[in-house]
This record gives sequence, structure tokens and C-alpha cells, in this order.
Amino acid sequence: MSSRKGVGLAAFDRSRLASAQYASHGSTLRSTNAQALETQLSVFRSLLQQFSTTHAKDIRSNPTFRAQFARMCAAIGVDPLASSNTTGAGGSGSSSIWAQLLGRSVNDFYFELAVRVVEVCGETRGENGGLIEVRKVRERVMRGRMEGGGEITEDDILRAVGTLKPLGSAYSIVRVGSKPYIRSVPKELNTDQSAVLEAVQVLGYVSVSMLMDNLRWARPRAQTAVEDLVGEGMLWVDKQSEECEYWSPGFMLESEELGGVPG
Amino acid sequence: MSQSQPFPFPREYFFPPFFTRQTNLTTHHAQLTKWSSLILSYCRHHRIFKLPLTPPDVTTTTTTTTPSATTTTAASTSSAVGDDLFYNRKINRRLSLSDTREVIDFLRKDGRAEYVSGNDKEGGGDVVWIYWRTPEEWASLVEAWVDETAQKGSVLTLYELTEGEGTRGTEFHGMDPELLQKALSVLVKRGKAQIFGQEDSQGVKFF
Repeated sequence: MSSRKGVGLAAFDRSRLASAQYASHGSTLRSTNAQALETQLSVFRSLLQQFSTTHAKDIRSNPTFRAQFARMCAAIGVDPLASSNTTGAGGSGSSSIWAQLLGRSVNDFYFELAVRVVEVCGETRGENGGLIEVRKVRERVMRGRMEGGGEITEDDILRAVGTLKPLGSAYSIVRVGSKPYIRSVPKELNTDQSAVLEAVQVLGYVSVSMLMDNLRWARPRAQTAVEDLVGEGMLWVDKQSEECEYWSPGFMLESEELGGVPG
Repeated sequence: MSQSQPFPFPREYFFPPFFTRQTNLTTHHAQLTKWSSLILSYCRHHRIFKLPLTPPDVTTTTTTTTPSATTTTAASTSSAVGDDLFYNRKINRRLSLSDTREVIDFLRKDGRAEYVSGNDKEGGGDVVWIYWRTPEEWASLVEAWVDETAQKGSVLTLYELTEGEGTRGTEFHGMDPELLQKALSVLVKRGKAQIFGQEDSQGVKFF
């Protein structure tokens, strides 16, 4: 439609009127929108609350369900683990929305798990120098809760370790190669050490010459990296082979399945 | 003795470095702990009371010094089962004698091992008592059995206690006579028993 351009003084009035009307219309739209959103949010909240109370058991016992739940929360932008001790969690009172909604059952689940993780790390620190594969932790935790305990996934372990953060403790997740490890001693691995640990994952052990061949390191470099790790208790020496072999203690846990049946 | 079942070796037994003395202190301690529990459970499984430290294929020069009775019992048990404890044939790793002694010393501190007497010298002999039950624990087992079977006040021979029909099914049936002596002397000290008689025909009376 061809619009007729206003000419004369009246045109000014008309445009002012139009913009005022636009503005008022806009504001009503906005307010209804906000209202709708608010009701949606409150409905959502109550639904989520209902959901979490009715499914609290499932959340605790069923790992896939729990993972889905956690994923859904992440998608919505709610951190399931943001708890009362993290400050500034959206200003929704003292504790997190999450704790309010779920009556802490999910948090409790992860806290309990975190305690087990700390225990496992403590038990095995002597043999692995405070670095343990998440998978191993999971195996040990699972073994400890044979009766009636639900399945636990590695994802759960990772989240549980996350809950330890507010304690300012040394527990953290380190990635070596593609595998996540839990580090329970305040020790940073340098790149060489990480490279060695990554190499160890392949066969369970490395030797200095293997490192020299595969990583193109000079002998002293390989020697130092390996000896540092032995010094930290993260590798065990085997001197009964042609060349000293350095073994990952994690492999000891693994060979349980491999060598479980002697003969 | 019924011990046909093979001993289920723990996972560390298949871990090659387990047989090399670890240089790191903490690691070494973890290693000692693991070895200790392995030795104890191994001996318990096979009901080994005296464990010879020298592997059978190593020249046994020390056998002449130990009493002949000891050697025969030790040798008979060791050749049958004892040789795979410190030597894992599958991965071809062996715990050296000096490292073994270290583990034994670790066990001794715990009261779970003792060098068979007659070797007072430092470093001990080559045969070790492994106390997967300490003499005290054996003593209370015997005591409980005597109590249960209402044999307080009666006299039993030591042979009866370990080999007799009456003790069949008890834990101390077939136990090493020397160890039984030790256990009984614990009871004697507590005033719960009295041993009398000669060398071969000793008897014991329980109160």
C-alpha cells in the first residue's frame, strides 16, 4: 500500500501520537509477557519440586536417570551442585534453588559419595601417590556398596569431587591423556610427567628407552621424568626385567580381572 | 589336610614391581603391608605354620644348623606349596631373600611372625613362624574347645589335641605340635592349664 505522506503541521501530531501508542502497546505486551513467564516459572518450579520429591529415590538410585536429570538442569541453567556454601547463587535466599527444590536429597547423595571418594583416595594414596583413575575410584566405591546400593557412574564421581571444592581441599580432576584422574595431593604434574603417565596407560608400564623411542626424548629427560614420578609414588619400579620398567599402580587394580584366575 | 583348592592370589601378585623393593618410602610401606597380608592369608589358606624363607631350588646350606625335625616338616610343606609364594612363575618375578626378610621384620613388629628359635643371631634363621593366629589366639581357641566339650579337669595328651578324633573339625586339628606347645604355655602362664610328662608323651590338664 502506498502510504500518503503527511504534509503540514498535523503530520507532527500524528507521528507523536503513533509513537506514544506504540510505546504503550509495547509496555503492555512486555508486562503480559513477563507475567506469563513468571507464572511459567512458578509452575515449572512447583513441577520440578514435585518431580524431584516423587523421583528422589530414582534420582539417588538410578544413574541414567540421575545423569539425565543433571543434564536437564544444566540445560535450564540450574547448577545441581551449587549449594548453600557457594556465595551469590542467584540471590535466591541463603541456600541454592536446588537445595530448596530438592530438599537436599541430591546434594546429600553427592556429599555422601564425596566422602567415599575421599576415603578411597586416602586408602590408596600409599600405593599410587595420590593420583587415581576415576574409573578405579568408581570400581572401589561400587565394591564397597554391594548391598542395595544403586549404580554409580563416573559422571557422579566427577560431580562428587566438584562438591569438595568449597573445602579448599586438594581434590581435583586432572586429565591425563583422555582419562580423568582424581588428584588428592597438592601436586602439579609438569608436561613431561603427564606425557609419561599417558604413555603408561598403553601397556601399564614404560621404560626409559621406550620413552626415548616414542617421545624422542634424550635419555636424561626420560630418566628425570620417570624418577620424579617414582619419587612421588605414582609409579612402581620393576628391576627384574632387562631394563627397569616403571609400572602404574592403577594397573595393579586392573590385573585383578586379567589375572584373577591363576593357572 | 584338605587344601586342594588353589590359593586365590591377590591382584598385586601379578604386578611385576610388587617383587622389587620400592624406593619411595610411602610406596614401600604400602608394598610391605600388601606383602604381609598376602603371606598371612597364604599361610592361613595352606595352613602353613612354619614358613621356610629360602626357596627350595636355592642351595640350602643352613639346613644342617637347624634341627632335623624342623627341616623335614619345613621341606615337606615348602616343596608342596610354599614355593610359589615368593616366586610368581607366570610373570617370572621373585622376591629376593633380603626383601623377604624385610617383610618378615615388618610382620614381626606386628607380632605376626617370629624366627624359629635356635637362630638368635641378627637376621634370624631361614624358617619363620607365621602367626596367622598368634599363640594367644590359638590358646583361646583351645580353651574355648575344652570349655565347650566339658573337659576341664581332664587330662589330654598333646597328640590327642592335634591328631585325635575329638578335635577333628576344630581349627587346631593338625596344627604344628611346637606351636601348640607355645599356645599351651600361654594358658599355663595364665594358670589355666598345666603341662607334664616327657618329650614324646606330654599331657596337659586344663583348669
